[in-house]
Amino acid sequence: MNADCLKLTIYFGERDRAEGRFLADAMLDRYERHGLATSVLLRGIEGFGAKHRLKTQRLLTLSEDLPMVSVAVDTRQRIDQLLPEVTALMGDGLITLERATLVAGELDEIAPPEELAEATKLTVYLGRNERTDGQPTFLAVVDLLHRHGVAGATVLLGVDGTAHGVRERARFFGGNAKVPLMIISVGAGETIAHTLPELGALLERPLVTLERIRVCKRDGRRLADPHPLPTGDLGGLGIWHKLMIYAGEEAEHHGHPLYLQLIRRLREAGAAGATSLRGIWGYHGDHPPHGDRLLALRRKVPVLTVVVDRPDRIHRWYEIVDQLTDETGLVTSELVPAFRATGPDLLEGGLHLSNP
Amino acid sequence: MTMLVWVGVAVLGGVGALGRWILDGLVSARWGREFPLGTLAVNLTGAFTLGLLVGAGVQGHVLLLVGVAALGSYTTFSTWMFESHRLGEDGERRLAAANLAVSLAAGLLTALAGWLIGEAW
Repeated sequence: MNADCLKLTIYFGERDRAEGRFLADAMLDRYERHGLATSVLLRGIEGFGAKHRLKTQRLLTLSEDLPMVSVAVDTRQRIDQLLPEVTALMGDGLITLERATLVAGELDEIAPPEELAEATKLTVYLGRNERTDGQPTFLAVVDLLHRHGVAGATVLLGVDGTAHGVRERARFFGGNAKVPLMIISVGAGETIAHTLPELGALLERPLVTLERIRVCKRDGRRLADPHPLPTGDLGGLGIWHKLMIYAGEEAEHHGHPLYLQLIRRLREAGAAGATSLRGIWGYHGDHPPHGDRLLALRRKVPVLTVVVDRPDRIHRWYEIVDQLTDETGLVTSELVPAFRATGPDLLEGGLHLSNP
Repeated sequence: MTMLVWVGVAVLGGVGALGRWILDGLVSARWGREFPLGTLAVNLTGAFTLGLLVGAGVQGHVLLLVGVAALGSYTTFSTWMFESHRLGEDGERRLAAANLAVSLAAGLLTALAGWLIGEAW
């Protein structure tokens, strides 16, 4: 277990290019070369960035350029070595750094650090087709989390990534058994801690991260406001704020899909960017785990929407989120100690970690 | 001659596809928030043009090249179906039904309008 790790998240576009090829490929090659403990490349379904150009999979012509999110976790030292290469590759997009605890190996003896007592985000990284007792491991993991009363879990399918330093990329033909997927779950620190020994028994080579968060809403009920954060630390470095909204794809607000409304309203209000990711399986609140069913028109998969911005602006975006999630949805708030957004005539933030 | 027609179909088919890609892309990026207007735009302009050609009495190789090759790849049935299904998946039943009904009704009307204008020419 290493409590001094960093999670590097990059938000960009599927068709962005660097060094004469796709940025996504160039980026993942760097992750491979640095042998990152874990990284996952995800393709979003709807979103916008600094240019405020809508990306969506609903219209065929626009769906060739979807939002991409890459998540990578390793020791602070290794991420620091990687950062200059990543920023050199980046065109327009957003890079964030967050502090995380990475556990690779035995989960049995883990006592979560005290600071995780409030609420915790547990992310489990595993291969797409890993199996336990004849069923896909991700189903077993979600069942376990649900049984223990963890507030929500979402399974996101990666299209590329590294696991324990080895590249695992999805191919059109082939089993793709080891291509990474990630299960993001949110719950009380203690509840999460109770699941860890059983979780360890389910996974071949456990690879999980623990992060500190706040649960703001669950099933539409307000539990706590987002952290009141200053816009900078004592040393003058910027502090940033992230909201994540978990809801089913079938969730609606006044008869329209919730995630579409979130993206639309945030875009109209002038947010810096927002991205929706579709899971393949999961649950939130009191619902049993769900996914797509055969021959059903409506999809029943979970959708996760992420917004990162300055704390003073996040408060405005939270009002929109709060309105739209009046009936359903799990909303969490996290502190982001480093943020660097680039766009046309825009360079905001930097990648030095602030200390709130 | 036959060889030339084959080449013409391939080239104009490509031109039609490019035209659709450009117009659909422009319209979708600008107005295509909730409703697949880009696809509607190419299908209606395509239906109008084909009506115009037939109304004007264009026949033979020209009809093959422009009607089948260029307009065939310019307009799209599959995307119309695909995007209607996507709207249904999102639970937007009204929009899905509107996309089907509006394309069908307006498509027939624009084809007819094109045909009448072509004939009067």
